[in-house]
Order: sequence, then structure tokens, then C-alpha cells
Amino acid sequence: MPGRGENYFISAKLARRGSSLEIALAGNPNVGKSIIFGRLTGVGVTSANYPGTTVEFVEGQAKFMNMTITVIDLPGSYSLAGNTDEERVATKLLYERRPHTVIAVLDSTRLERNLVFLFELIESGHNVVVALNMYDILRKNKQVIDVERMERFLTMPVIPTVATKGEGIDSLLYTSIQLRRKSKFQVRYDSHIEEMISRLEPQLREKDWDLPLRAVAIRLLAGDENVISRAPPEILELSRRMREEFRKGHNEDIVVHIQRDRFGEAGRIAREVIGTAQTARKKPSLVSDLTIKPSTGIPILLGVLALIFLTLVFLGGYLEGLLVGAYSDTGKAYFSDLADQMDSKYAKGVIDGVSLSIEAMLALVIPYILVFYVMLSILEDTGYLVRVVSLLDGVMHRLGLHGRAVIPMVVGFGCNVPAILATRAMGSRRERLILATLITIAVPCSAQTAIIIGSVGNFAGIWWALLIYVILMGTLVVLGLALHRTLKFEPTGLMVEIPDMRWPSTRQTAMKTYIRLKEFLTIAFPLLLAGSIVLETLMAVGALQEIIGPADPFMHGALGLPAFTAVALVFGILRKEMALQMLMVLGFTLEGTSNLQDLLTPHQMFVFALVMAVFMPCLAAFAVMVREFGARSSLMVAGASISLALVMGAVANLVLSL
Amino acid sequence: MQPEIVEQYLKAIYNLTEEGGTAKTTDIAELIGVAPASVTEMLHKLADKRYVKHESYKGAVLTGKGRKVARKIARKHRLLERFLNDVVGVRGRSRHEQACKMEHALTDEAEHNLCKIMNHPVECPHGRKIPKCEKKISCERCADSSMSLDEMKEGDTAIVSHLTCGDKDDLCEMLAIGFVPGSAVTVEKKVPMGGPIIVSLKGTKVAIARERGKLLHLSKAG
Repeated sequence: MPGRGENYFISAKLARRGSSLEIALAGNPNVGKSIIFGRLTGVGVTSANYPGTTVEFVEGQAKFMNMTITVIDLPGSYSLAGNTDEERVATKLLYERRPHTVIAVLDSTRLERNLVFLFELIESGHNVVVALNMYDILRKNKQVIDVERMERFLTMPVIPTVATKGEGIDSLLYTSIQLRRKSKFQVRYDSHIEEMISRLEPQLREKDWDLPLRAVAIRLLAGDENVISRAPPEILELSRRMREEFRKGHNEDIVVHIQRDRFGEAGRIAREVIGTAQTARKKPSLVSDLTIKPSTGIPILLGVLALIFLTLVFLGGYLEGLLVGAYSDTGKAYFSDLADQMDSKYAKGVIDGVSLSIEAMLALVIPYILVFYVMLSILEDTGYLVRVVSLLDGVMHRLGLHGRAVIPMVVGFGCNVPAILATRAMGSRRERLILATLITIAVPCSAQTAIIIGSVGNFAGIWWALLIYVILMGTLVVLGLALHRTLKFEPTGLMVEIPDMRWPSTRQTAMKTYIRLKEFLTIAFPLLLAGSIVLETLMAVGALQEIIGPADPFMHGALGLPAFTAVALVFGILRKEMALQMLMVLGFTLEGTSNLQDLLTPHQMFVFALVMAVFMPCLAAFAVMVREFGARSSLMVAGASISLALVMGAVANLVLSL
Repeated sequence: MQPEIVEQYLKAIYNLTEEGGTAKTTDIAELIGVAPASVTEMLHKLADKRYVKHESYKGAVLTGKGRKVARKIARKHRLLERFLNDVVGVRGRSRHEQACKMEHALTDEAEHNLCKIMNHPVECPHGRKIPKCEKKISCERCADSSMSLDEMKEGDTAIVSHLTCGDKDDLCEMLAIGFVPGSAVTVEKKVPMGGPIIVSLKGTKVAIARERGKLLHLSKAG
């Protein structure tokens, strides 16, 4: 690595202060920003949503000598113009936090496009250091970047890094801390734009803005909302007239010309600094190509899904057995002793509730959700998920959805709560509502999977279990088409960059899983806990069992199930993952056996599992829906799913009894 | 081709009569910078060739034939002024003078391509209308002789000529990812079942939905 900064002194004042310096990481998506972030910071990483959006940014601490440095990982974006949520969050964060240094992480193999983003950072007057990341891939492609020449062009430090191996990271941190001067580099726009800038700039007053005036002028001309909202009316009028004038003369929006000139400049610099640029062509990766072509991509997709499913069933099941076994001897025994000592039924309920929640954690969260999140993060980091998105975009469009809807759906197989949150990545509210409805009804979460596998899979055979999945997929398609017809609208067109396939990094996977798990535990778990306490109390006072009698005609007549399963269904509203255990407990008290096989026939199990799989989302999922879509829509979805579940159960019962 | 001087006169008359009325000899003389007597002599010649109708004391108006020539030359002049102003950055009187010299050398094909490159400008830097070309197709169709992305075949490479995007956010998003006029785009794969088009663009692969691809207009490389 060409060493940078060795001849600089650390600002003695800063070092003595032990001050809280802030550094931000900015760059396009898929440039390895998060891996650099992981290298710079240790544990204690927090993720946050910017108020009003769902785009996440991550924050952590780095240590350098005796200083603690806050590192902010901005959401990956292509521009600072504020036209997408990611851009808006990145822009706002840069504006509000005013970091000491911004590290612009560039993908050295895609220098041209990445430089355009860098230009915007420089233009906005930040202290910028360039991390020329993925330098090893560049070397492998037999290319080289003249780093010193690039530094001279840009008048700023440029540091080649290989984040995956940790190369250049120390030098990057060191340079970012000592950096105290701004680049003097400027993009020259076409003469008409330059002339407009020079007309607009003198009208602006330094004290009104905390951006360089040139940047303000450019953004005003481009019609950037962030700047427009703060501009005095006469300036606004002037810039609006200029935009109009430009439009008339060129028959094209001024932003087209601004971006064209930035790309022109970027291309020029890239050509100047990259050695053997065009000669060494990248070899197209075979795997990458096969995953996009439908003839091979769909079998690969099915294979990957099957692999996920099998891993969940076997690895998850194994872990569950291990953990629950360990818990029943220790914690559970302790709690049941404690409960026995209590006189009040309510206290018993509370204690049992707590105990059950901990058991659910061990039975569900760690084995299934953790395993699922690890796999999800690997799928994302390898770049495979984006390929699935483009492969299925066309099909999803028929259901009125965007290709991107694939991701929340896949997440939904883990838990519906983060899946509903993930729908925020979709464009319109309608699109989100359709997707959330489909997920809650037709995508079985890991708790529902546990029921299907635990009953039907174990006792009726794996093919019956698969049949339930086929039915669910059919429901998904039919429901999607129906919703698309009724809620008329056009989904916005997909546009997404497909990164090269690469190996996931362990650190990255661990960090992502940690952050997701934390989200689940903070949102879903408290509700689970509250729900089970209420349920246990109801059970303790015998309120829940009351419904067995009245439910009998329906349960027996329509669904062909023993009446006590009604309790399990109601229980399932709050605690889906415990419904099966519930069934066993009830069976034990009412029928004298907790053996599922003796309680239900395989055909009854099939009906039960199907109803459970389609049934209303659990309380946590419902609460998240209310938060996201309001009570009315959520109640409608919940009502629809309950009635659909019962109807489908009744139909299944009819068909099976033939 | 007419001699330069004929074109010069016809353009002057065109400029003077654009908003109706007739071109007075004195005005023409001032515009071209010659003596009124020479103008009168030239007007007679032009009238003989049926480029203008000339009545003494009233002034000159263009005939159909003269109008055609004049429009073309005025169009070339104004396009050139636009080009010199926006792209080259020539200002002031000199811009007009250079355009005056260049307009006679510009071939029709060059004029047509210049119009396309400048994306069919409608006004010259002085705010005068640039006369439409004589091609039978409309400007939009002319622009569409370049094709939209979804009309391209797999393996085709073309250069982005312009974007027709109503929504500003969408437009900026496409520009930011690199679909700017002048960038080369290669269609790698059109995913069937209405799937997106996968293109390579500046060393990256981008999947773009077909209806978005319709907003992107390209012309063949070369």
C-alpha cells in the first residue's frame, strides 16, 4: 500500500482533548462501505432509522490513540440530490451532523460512476478522503490506478484499500483524523450553466447558507428540494426563471446537463488515472450469468429455497431440541416451582407467561430466526438476492408488485414483523399494503413452519407438508392477482444495480444478523411477553377454556377438528409458535394424552396446520401493521385472513373427507 | 446552392419580415452593412429570380421559393448560435458574426445532426424561434429515429441520446446511476416474462424495468 499521511502530524489538540470526532462513510451502494465500517469500529454498533423514513444508517465507535471517534455509515446512494429516500437520509445526516471528515468509499473497478458521487461531496464543501476500495479486484483485472496523479487532480488524499482484508484501513483512519483542508477541485459545467451559476452566486449571501455558495447555486438550478425550501423568494424566483430559460433553449432539463458534465469529467479523470483501462476486460462470471437467465436461474432459485428450507428444518430443529431440553431442566423447573408457591391464580399466570416466553425465545428465536437471518444476510452479501429480484420482477409485476417485493417476502419466512417493516422499501402505500397482506396471509413465518413441520411433516409425511406450501403459494398468486385488480395502480419500474457475485464476509454477516435480531427482540419480543402473560392469566382463571363449548359446532362441523383446538387457534393469535404445544397441553388435560398422533388424525392435522398457516398474523405482526398502515386496514387484513383461513380449512376438510 | 450573398440577403429579409410586414430597403442596408443603392440593385436581381416581390417605396417580401431558402439559412444560423453559445461558450457580437460565416458552409446533413445533438432547441440565444426543419416527421419522431431501450436486442450497444422522463425524481435517479446522454449502454439480457432488461453501463450491470427502459432513447454507436 502506498503509505499516506506518515509525514503528517496528528493534531495535538485533538489528541489531547480525547475529543469526540465524527467521521462519515459515504458512497454508492455495494462498494464495501459497511465492511470498512466493520473494520473501523468494533462492537457496540447501533442501527437507527431516520425519523420518518426506514432507510437505516449505522453508527459505531472507533478508537485511535486515546480518541474515541464516532463513525457513521450513511446509506448507500448514487447522488446527494435528494430524489430517493437513501439520498435524503444521507444528505440530511451530512447536513445535520457536519462530520469532521467524510470518507468517500469508491469502488476502484467502477471509478467513473463512483467519481460522480465524490464530486458532489466535494462540491458540498466537506473535508473528503477517498478510500479506493476493492483495490485487489482491480489488481486481479491487471489494472492499476495512478494514485498520486489522482490526488493531484482532485487535490485530496486518496488511499487504496482492500476492506475485506483490512488493507489500508489504518492509514484511512489516520488520514481522516488529521485532515483539515478541503479539496479545491471543481467540475466545470457547460458554459451556459456556468454563466447561470455566475449570475446566481453573487445574489446569495454567505450567512444564509452553510454550504459553499457555488453548491447552493448549482442545487438551486437543479431544483433540489432541500435548498429550495430554504431560499429567499427573490432568489427562488430568479433560479426558477433560469431553469425555465434553460429548458426553453435546450429542450431538456438542466439536471440532465449537470449530470452529463459530471460524468464527462469523471470519465476524463478515470481515463487519465487508470492504466490499461480498456485492454483488460473483465471476465464475465459464469455463476453470475446463470443466476439471471431464467432457464437456469429458476432451478437455481428453487434449489436455494429448498436448501434454506432444509437448513431451517434440520439445523433449526436440532438447535431447538438442544436448547429447549437444556431449558426444561433448569429455567422451566425453577419457574414452575416458583409458580407452585404462589397462591394467586394471576401470579401463577404471570410466572407461567414469563417462563413460556423464555421458552419461546429458545425454541423459536435462536434456532429458527437466527439461522434464518444468517442465511438471509449471506444471500444479500453475495449479491444473489438482487439477482432474484431481477429474475422475478416480471412475474411480480403481474401481481401488482415490484421485483423488490421478493426481499420482504423472503424475510417473511423468518418472521412477519421485520417483513412488514421491510415493505417500506416499496414505493406507494398501496403497493406496501398489498405486499403486507400477501405476507401475513400466504407467507408462513418460522412459527407457522414449525407447526406445519411439527404436525403434518412429522406424522402425515413430508409430501403433505409440501402440499400446504403449494396451497400457500397458490393463495399468494390468486390473492395477488385479485388485489391487483381491485386496487388499481401501476407499480414504479425497477432499477437496480447488479453487483458482482462475491463471497460474504463473516464480520459483515455477524453484524447484519446482530442488528436484525436486535430489531426483532425490541419490537416483537415485548409483545410476545405481554401476550403470553395475558393468555396464561386467562388460562389460569379458566376463561379461555370457556370457548370450547360454543366453538364446538363450527370446529367439528365445518373443520372436522376436535373442539379443544379452538383454544389453540385463539392462542395462536397471540402466540403462534406455541399453538402446537398448547394443543398438547390441552390434549393432556382433556384427553389424557399429549401425543399429537393420538389427538389428531393426519387428515385433521393437515386441516389444522393449513388453518394456522393462513390464520391471522400474531399479535406482534398485527401491532406492527397498525403502526404502519393504521387500525382500519390492519383490522381488515386480520379479518380477511381469519375468514380465509377458516374457509380454506373447511374446504380442505370437505375434500379430504371425500 | 445559391451564392452566399443571395443567402445573406434572403436571411436579412426573413429576419425583418418574420413578424409580418415588408422589409424596407434602408433596414436591409443597415442589417447587411451596405449602401441602400446596392440593396435596391440586389433586390431587382432577386426579384428576377423570383426570390422576392419588390415594390418601390413599399419594400420587399419573400416569395414561396425565397422563403424556403431563407428559412433554411435562418435555421442554420440560429442553431449555430445556440451551439456556439451553449457548447463552445462564444459570447457577444463575435458569436453572431461567426455564425454568419459558418451558416453558409454547413451542409443539410450537418444541420440535421446538429439539431439532434442539441436536442431540438426551439429558440436561439436572442430568443428568436428556430424555424422547423423540412423533414416530414415531427421532432419527437426524429428523436425516436433513435430507439428506446426496450426496442434494442440482446447484445446491442448504443449511446444514450436523451431521456423522456416526466417525473423529476425518476429522471434524477436514472441520471445518477449513469444513464446520461453520451454514455454507452449494452443490452446483456432481456429477462423473459416481462422481466427487466439487464444492461451494462460504465462497467456495472443494471437491471431496469421495461417501462422505464422506454424513457431512455439511444442511437446506435458510430
